Amino acid sequence: MDFTLTDEQQMLREGAERYLQENYPFERRRATAATVTSCDDAMWAAFAEMGWLALTVPEEAAGLGAGVMEAALLHEALGRRNVLEPVATSAVLCARLIERSGHAAARETVLPAIAGGEARVALACLEPDRYYAHDAPSTVARRDGDGYVLSGAKIVVVDAPAAHRFIVSASVAGESGCALFLVDATAAGLEQRAYPLIDGRRAADLDLRDVRVGASALLCGPAEGAAVLDEALDRFRIVQVADALGAMEAVIDLTAEHIRNRKQFGQPLATFQALQHRMSESFVKVQELRSALYHAFAHVDAPPAERNAAVSAAVVVASEAGRVVGGQGIQLHGGVGMTEEYQVGHYFKRLLVTEKLWGDVDFHLDRIAFTYR
Amino acid sequence: MDLRFTAADEAFREEVRDFMRTHVPPEIAADTKRWVNPRPAYFRRWQGILAARGWGAPHWPAKWGGTDWSALRKHLFFEELYRAYAPDFGWQGLHMMAPVLFAFGSEEQCRRWAPRMLTGEDFWCQGFSEPGAGSDLANLKSTAECVGDEWVLRGQKIWTSDAADSNWGFFLVRTDATVKPQRGLSFIAVKMDTPGITVRPIHGIDGRHDLNEVFLDEVRVPADQLIGEPGKGWTYAKYLLEKERTASAFLYFNRRRFEMAKDIARQTLVHGRPLLEDRAFARKLARVDADLHALNWSVLRILAEEPQKYDLNAVVSALKISGSEMQQRVTELQIDALGPRAVRHFERDQPHTEEADLRRHWQEFTVGPTNLYLFERASTIYGGAREVQKNIIAKLAFGF
Repeated sequence: MDFTLTDEQQMLREGAERYLQENYPFERRRATAATVTSCDDAMWAAFAEMGWLALTVPEEAAGLGAGVMEAALLHEALGRRNVLEPVATSAVLCARLIERSGHAAARETVLPAIAGGEARVALACLEPDRYYAHDAPSTVARRDGDGYVLSGAKIVVVDAPAAHRFIVSASVAGESGCALFLVDATAAGLEQRAYPLIDGRRAADLDLRDVRVGASALLCGPAEGAAVLDEALDRFRIVQVADALGAMEAVIDLTAEHIRNRKQFGQPLATFQALQHRMSESFVKVQELRSALYHAFAHVDAPPAERNAAVSAAVVVASEAGRVVGGQGIQLHGGVGMTEEYQVGHYFKRLLVTEKLWGDVDFHLDRIAFTYR
Repeated sequence: MDLRFTAADEAFREEVRDFMRTHVPPEIAADTKRWVNPRPAYFRRWQGILAARGWGAPHWPAKWGGTDWSALRKHLFFEELYRAYAPDFGWQGLHMMAPVLFAFGSEEQCRRWAPRMLTGEDFWCQGFSEPGAGSDLANLKSTAECVGDEWVLRGQKIWTSDAADSNWGFFLVRTDATVKPQRGLSFIAVKMDTPGITVRPIHGIDGRHDLNEVFLDEVRVPADQLIGEPGKGWTYAKYLLEKERTASAFLYFNRRRFEMAKDIARQTLVHGRPLLEDRAFARKLARVDADLHALNWSVLRILAEEPQKYDLNAVVSALKISGSEMQQRVTELQIDALGPRAVRHFERDQPHTEEADLRRHWQEFTVGPTNLYLFERASTIYGGAREVQKNIIAKLAFGF
């Protein structure tokens, strides 16, 4: 049992923290959030150059072949700096989907493009009137000669505006299960309606009207898709938990600094025991969360039910921790915590978006409880 | 002990309900549901409708356009107003400034300001807090210096709601720096277009910008706009808070938003069935529902002047804590019901019907809850932060 980081892991974490500290100030983030993609090309290129986009892509696909722990270290740094760019959705989630799809051509051409930064891919699996469910999609793929014709609607496709391609979940007409298709963002019949999210990231709704794709667009057939999606989403959730952990630590640091300096009733707020206890409570939450993250690491390669339960445990702990830490962060800032000018509110919003995207708590509690049978 | 409303009160409730049903303009109700920036034009219109019925300010003395309603009837009035999604704004003037004006202002001042406040012609903002005086309000530093027959105001206020839309403001300023801080404050009414006033909107994390900074740079105010006596400002501010004991529970707001959370859950489908029928979600609602009922009776106990063994101020602080936490809980239920759709940013004043996609996947009820949830992170900060309320309880209920 060894919790020390290897030299490489240490370098990755410190390198990421230092780079972001020096190159990702709040004002730059604000400017990026005002663009239509919420993705700065120069920053993206820098990420690619540092190997961040190749981190968990297999070596055979021009990646660095690192594991989920390394990804978590990087994403903790990204969360700590409130980074907008779609590293997680493209280089973790979609890269994993392609890697595990068994689709040789996609592995050979798309994965390296993701790793090199030339291609950004986003996952489109949420649908209207489906809440968080992504099994049995109502988006349908009809066979048409060698290829398929896709029709349906997807909502809240996170990082869609910056994406060059989408991985779209669909049912195949006449078959049960969930298939995954790789579709160009510019495909005929695919309409995007983009919008900002509350934390500066962006998403879009997709309307697919008879979108014709070739046979090679099928990443995963309906018999395999659900399992591939489930595994990739679990990895993505782990990385998102790490992101949230980083964001929470930033909230704690910002808040501690604020109450050290802010004076009311003739003394710094930090001298009031009640407020010291609020900080301590947040500290406890973050300690617990890091531990929950380790639990997820330890089971990331376990059989699905076990892996599901461990990842869900981390998500459940993170959901509550985020609300407590984020909420206390604003509370202890007082009125200024509610302004756009101060950073704490932006972290609160990031935590909220992250939490709302990884599936609701009841879904995750059910996955834990499933193992009791 | 009789916990029922009288038959007369129930009849009164019916009368109010009927009025609201027939007099709340649908577009104003729609805006209220979506919680957009209260538009001054809507305020004037609604206030005009209420005032025409004699209900523009039920809590005012009858002489100035109020009613003679009991505290319970005023409660019923607001219950029905909220139930009908009528707006409830203009708070600063009608509910905060006016009581002080009637209690401590001159007849001339009342005649000058009250009628226009009642009809909605004047819209008032409140200038109390400062960057250095939040929880520690007595520490405020903006001054008013007596020069001839004028007061000259210098300083800065912050968190001034609707200052940009207001034509009048009432300010708490320091008129005497030589005495104990609480003893040197005064209440002054200022016309917002007076030279030297600069209003700068503050952008909130909820997308709102109706909170403002107000800069006072050699603002010359006629001496007859000081209300009551100089140096009594702190007393008047305390009086103002005592007049609105149960308002800080935000009971009507909380109930309205709870009903809206249920509504969202009713219209959100999960595997073809309404989220409201999902047992786990229904339980979440039920838990909040239980506390909402308790909040309701906490308000009634104070309104009906239940004999209290504890200092009433401690009880009111407890109410504020329960009420403000409830504001966060009900708005959280709304976004939990939205699920993944809660993450989208809508501009506060974004018109709903103009976008086709809003009709398709983003129904009316998806617009507003997230902004409101973000705004209500401040419910435990404004009106006396939760930590301050707990201090009050510790001191007054326990003598700690």
